[in-house]
Amino acid sequence: MALLNRDDWYDIARDVDWTLSYVDRDEAFPEEWVGAKDIPLEAWDEWDEPFRVSYRDYVMVQREKEANVSAIREAMVRAKIYKNLDGGHKASSQLHMGTTCMVEHMAVTMQSRFCRFAPTGRWRSLGAFGMMDETRHTQLDMRFSHDLLNEEPRFDWCQKAFHTNEWGIIAVRNFFDDIMLNSDCVEAALATSLTVEHGFTNIQFVALASDAMEAGDINFSNLLSSIQTDEARHAQLGFPTLDVIIKHDPKRAQQILDVAFWRAFRLFQTLTGTAMDYYTPVAKRRMSFKEFMLEWIVKHHERILRDYGLEKPWYWNTFETALEHGHHALHIGTWFWRPTLFWKPNAGVSREERKWLNEKYPSWEESWGVLWDQIIENVNSGKMEKTLPETLPALCNVTQLPLGSAIDRFNLKQHQVIHNGRVYQFDSEVSKWIFELEPERYAGHLNVVDRFIAGQIQPMDLGGGLNWMGLTPDVMGDDAFGYRWAADYSANRVAAE
Amino acid sequence: MALFPIIGRFVGDFVPHLVAVDTLDTFDQIAEKVAVHSVGRRLAPNPRAKGYEVLLEGKALEGSKRLDSLMAETPVLPLQWFDVRWKQ
Repeated sequence: MALLNRDDWYDIARDVDWTLSYVDRDEAFPEEWVGAKDIPLEAWDEWDEPFRVSYRDYVMVQREKEANVSAIREAMVRAKIYKNLDGGHKASSQLHMGTTCMVEHMAVTMQSRFCRFAPTGRWRSLGAFGMMDETRHTQLDMRFSHDLLNEEPRFDWCQKAFHTNEWGIIAVRNFFDDIMLNSDCVEAALATSLTVEHGFTNIQFVALASDAMEAGDINFSNLLSSIQTDEARHAQLGFPTLDVIIKHDPKRAQQILDVAFWRAFRLFQTLTGTAMDYYTPVAKRRMSFKEFMLEWIVKHHERILRDYGLEKPWYWNTFETALEHGHHALHIGTWFWRPTLFWKPNAGVSREERKWLNEKYPSWEESWGVLWDQIIENVNSGKMEKTLPETLPALCNVTQLPLGSAIDRFNLKQHQVIHNGRVYQFDSEVSKWIFELEPERYAGHLNVVDRFIAGQIQPMDLGGGLNWMGLTPDVMGDDAFGYRWAADYSANRVAAE
Repeated sequence: MALFPIIGRFVGDFVPHLVAVDTLDTFDQIAEKVAVHSVGRRLAPNPRAKGYEVLLEGKALEGSKRLDSLMAETPVLPLQWFDVRWKQ
């Protein structure tokens, strides 16, 4: 007997909704998790996704992907390729594994919420594939890291990081707790599926994969590319959700996208901006972070907004300034506070690297080079204590990132709110705006500075802080190349060329 | 006399810091406590400057004035942002 074509049975198989008789619909689908607000139930009948994947197709394709990843992994592990990789590139892979693996695992929970609480059976069915995707990504990261544990204890942070108080991890965890674990289905679809997965993962999984391949890390590059093929599919559930929301509540859609775009951008500046423009060996860089953002993220986001009749975010000018500067701030900051990292950052400011930075970012020298000059002088004159911090940077109460890390020193100014008798500081007017939209959503979270003042970090010094963050001497960050790059400048203090 | 946390930004540096000051500190002393995290670390010393000055909301504060005196005049909450810059 011939099998039916997929399109003949697909709609029946995925439309597994039925009229509830033993329980009220509102009880089975609480608004807190669904997030449909006043959108009528029948509006969700229009929700449709383009991929139309059956379980049979899914298993067949995924099996093939797994076989490919495994074959390359086994060959690369046998060849002991990791040992010979550039130290800067190694930092990129350690940073990725520590900050991303558990986000994949959090996404399993988000997708499982879609499976249970999404407002249409079609979406609930698709969520099942997303859930399996994210489980696979978690396992791929864990397996990759486990293979390298004997080479590098920092890969232990693939699993460990999210169980520590390391400050960068708190920033990542806070964002994804917010948009994945605590958001209703509608907000999670727009903020996570559409903004983060369909937009920003391109920069982590395409740009970084490309740089990794250039740097000779075939195993890491292949893993990232394989993950991205899943992301590109399950991220599609953001579009039909946006279709429905646009018809019934375009103002809400605009706000969710504007908030998510800024918060995701700030985080990817930290994770990928530093990796692309400082850690990847300069000869292997194909595009700058800014170039990639403009080509792959900004154009794409602008097109979505235009196609759906939405406006560019009101903060677009601030975003453009932040795109020029923010990741340079995050880089000099993370390098300076390097004992608080679980990877070894490459300073990335040798003469050759500096030339590249000035070509890509014409204002780099004035904004950042001057600060590096003082650091270089301290390294070359043996004043290493002056290249290390004695206190914490002030932190934003929305992004959890340092104040000043969204822009450069010439544009740095105070953005403050007093709420219930407490001062809240922000890295930009955008983060301040986000806080003021829903103060109770953000006000209760303590950033690292707040926790320090609350006495949670004891003793109240750098050593106490590092211990509180779970940083042990075997993983604690230091310069990736033992400061050898500074010798470039030993004869001439003013480094700019 | 009590420890009091402020946010101190040395103008010209890229990041403000958490700085523990004392309510009996003068603003000259507070300026020193803020500057130590920036000057000589990421900013070159400025031999032409005549020390530092502290600003609150853009207004320079008298160097000999104490933090507790300011607190008696105006509410100052923990983590208030103060600027410090070179005195020309």
